[in-house]
Amino acid sequence: MMTLAPPAAHQHSDEEPVTGPRADCVADSAGGLTFDVADRGESGPAHLLLRRRDGEQEVRLPLTPAADGRLRAALPSSVELPEGRWDVYVQVADDEPYRLVPGVNDLRALVDRVPGGSHGRVAARIPYATKLGNLTVRSWLRAPHAEAGELHVGQDELSVRARAYGTELAEDAYVELVARKAQASVVRAGLTTDRSEFRFTVPYDALRPGLWDLWLRPYGENGSRVRIARLLDDVADKKPIFTYPKVTLETEHGPVMAGPYYTGDNDLAVKVAAVE
Amino acid sequence: MHISFLIHNAYGIGGTIRTTYNLANTLAEQHDVEIVSVFRHRDEPVFTPDPRVRVRHLVDVRPGGADAGDPDLGRPARVFPRGEVRYEQYSALTDRRIAEHLAAVEADVVVGTRPGLNVHLARETRRGPVRVGQEHLTLDTHSKALRATLRGVYPRLDALTTTTEADARAYRDKMRLPGVQVRAVPNPVPQPGIDPADGSGKWVVAAGRLAPVKRYDLLIKAFDAVRAQRPDWRLRIYGGGKQKDKLRGLIDQLGLYNHVYLMGPANPIEPEWAKGSIAAVTSKMESFGMTIVEAMRCGLPVVSTDCPHGPGEIIDDGVDGRLVEVGNVDAIAGGLLELINNDELRQQMAHAALKDSERFDPSRIAEHHVSLFSGLLVRGGPSLGGRMRGSLHRTRGALLGGAYAVRDAGRTALRKGRTA
Repeated sequence: MMTLAPPAAHQHSDEEPVTGPRADCVADSAGGLTFDVADRGESGPAHLLLRRRDGEQEVRLPLTPAADGRLRAALPSSVELPEGRWDVYVQVADDEPYRLVPGVNDLRALVDRVPGGSHGRVAARIPYATKLGNLTVRSWLRAPHAEAGELHVGQDELSVRARAYGTELAEDAYVELVARKAQASVVRAGLTTDRSEFRFTVPYDALRPGLWDLWLRPYGENGSRVRIARLLDDVADKKPIFTYPKVTLETEHGPVMAGPYYTGDNDLAVKVAAVE
Repeated sequence: MHISFLIHNAYGIGGTIRTTYNLANTLAEQHDVEIVSVFRHRDEPVFTPDPRVRVRHLVDVRPGGADAGDPDLGRPARVFPRGEVRYEQYSALTDRRIAEHLAAVEADVVVGTRPGLNVHLARETRRGPVRVGQEHLTLDTHSKALRATLRGVYPRLDALTTTTEADARAYRDKMRLPGVQVRAVPNPVPQPGIDPADGSGKWVVAAGRLAPVKRYDLLIKAFDAVRAQRPDWRLRIYGGGKQKDKLRGLIDQLGLYNHVYLMGPANPIEPEWAKGSIAAVTSKMESFGMTIVEAMRCGLPVVSTDCPHGPGEIIDDGVDGRLVEVGNVDAIAGGLLELINNDELRQQMAHAALKDSERFDPSRIAEHHVSLFSGLLVRGGPSLGGRMRGSLHRTRGALLGGAYAVRDAGRTALRKGRTA
């Protein structure tokens, strides 16, 4: 077996590495996860406990004996896990639950994931190490979902390739950009479609300084709106990894610097900042 | 036999520490093994020792620890050599504690794990135990002052191990070490605890510190050429370091932001290798090339520059990976494209990489060390028992059991392409 060091978060900090019990986690391409923990020989039924952060919700999964004297719990894609961050614990009988730290996260099935998109929803769960080195599962549940793909940064515009899951794209489908601090402020971008794939271009000079969230309107003005996000891979936090060049340009609001980024929830957004 | 490792800090994170634990844990299956750490700065070691491996410290520098505030910690070391990169951390106190330890050490074999500690070992180990110095870096990376010190002291070692044959040759050629066995023993790399890569992902993976010596700028430029031909393939570079902003700038400048990703540090790295189908190493220098072995053990063929010292001794060019010219962007791109464009060749090499990298398994590497130690113990005197003392019986049992067959390690095939 590998000699494990603590999670990456600790490699370059003075923080004390966490040395709690480890869980090895394997993802399947449907969005299911299995968790393996060492059997510490405690008496009483053991459960894997997922506790949603900032909430009362809990999901309890039975831990049952697996190979090599380990205990295994499964979180199949069919078990709904509402969107959010879920801290992972083990609880034996009614004892105080103890937090797990990540061991080996085998997430290869999530890389370049193409879900069926049937049942009109996309579920994504990505286990990761928190800043303190603990194990947490980030869950997204989108119905429908718009997955951002390649972004192309031009001189004064952003072109996006994306794909819709769980919805058709009507003829009057379009993308809208909504100012985060002033929801009434909306800018439209037309799109071209190829079955479920679509492309659109955001002209930066149409955006006044601020943060803009991107939504798909698959049925035009009257239907629902779908957040454009990047969820279908193994990267829990896109922001520091999926980064893109910024451009400076002259607009009616003066000189600005503009560029796309992913939010803390991995939703696609554009930042336009006035340049002094 | 009883083996005692002397290490800078067994409680931290690092290549030498990981390697020492991997080796000690494996040796402990047949031998008495202890790891003596000069420093202890935290309660528990980061890496988990086998329960049979004893870990202890000489100087306790934990806040409120026994030696915190000892005035001798502030007085300069006289035995630990000034030319060593760790010199500033050593002191009159470490000099004294290490000397006391080595004067009384109860072991058949004492192993030092860095040049400064090897100097202590050579000068201060009591008569009796075999003295083995390990070099995890290379001779040509040592300062001139350190080389001068080592030249005077290393002849008092019984053996010196390097991680490559190239470095072993350098020690034999450039330092006069009469009577010292200079032997290349590669670093052990355990079998990963996950299934190997299946070769279906269109990803090239690299992992290492984002440092100038790794030349990731060349890899990114080479990937620009890869993208021109195969835009469906992408590159992940794992690791952190000072070059990050520079490399980010290069990716953006070349418009590779949909193809090349700086992933940040990952630990363990094995699951990340398993997401790729080809590994890339573009270094100017690799003292060993641990990541090459790690990637191979995860079933990835490696395209690597043929830089000093390790890659050429690990990769069998054209069989389990590809060696390309150092510093040559076109050659790197060519090597990657050769494997990207030929699924069958890539799968063949992946299979060979998995098989050929088994020679780095800790059990095999431990065997090399045991063979070296045993040979030195036998050489050490007319009376085997005199040198082996109480643990002889146990060792002989193990040898007869065949778990670690003693043989002439010079003939034991360590080199690529052959099996032991």
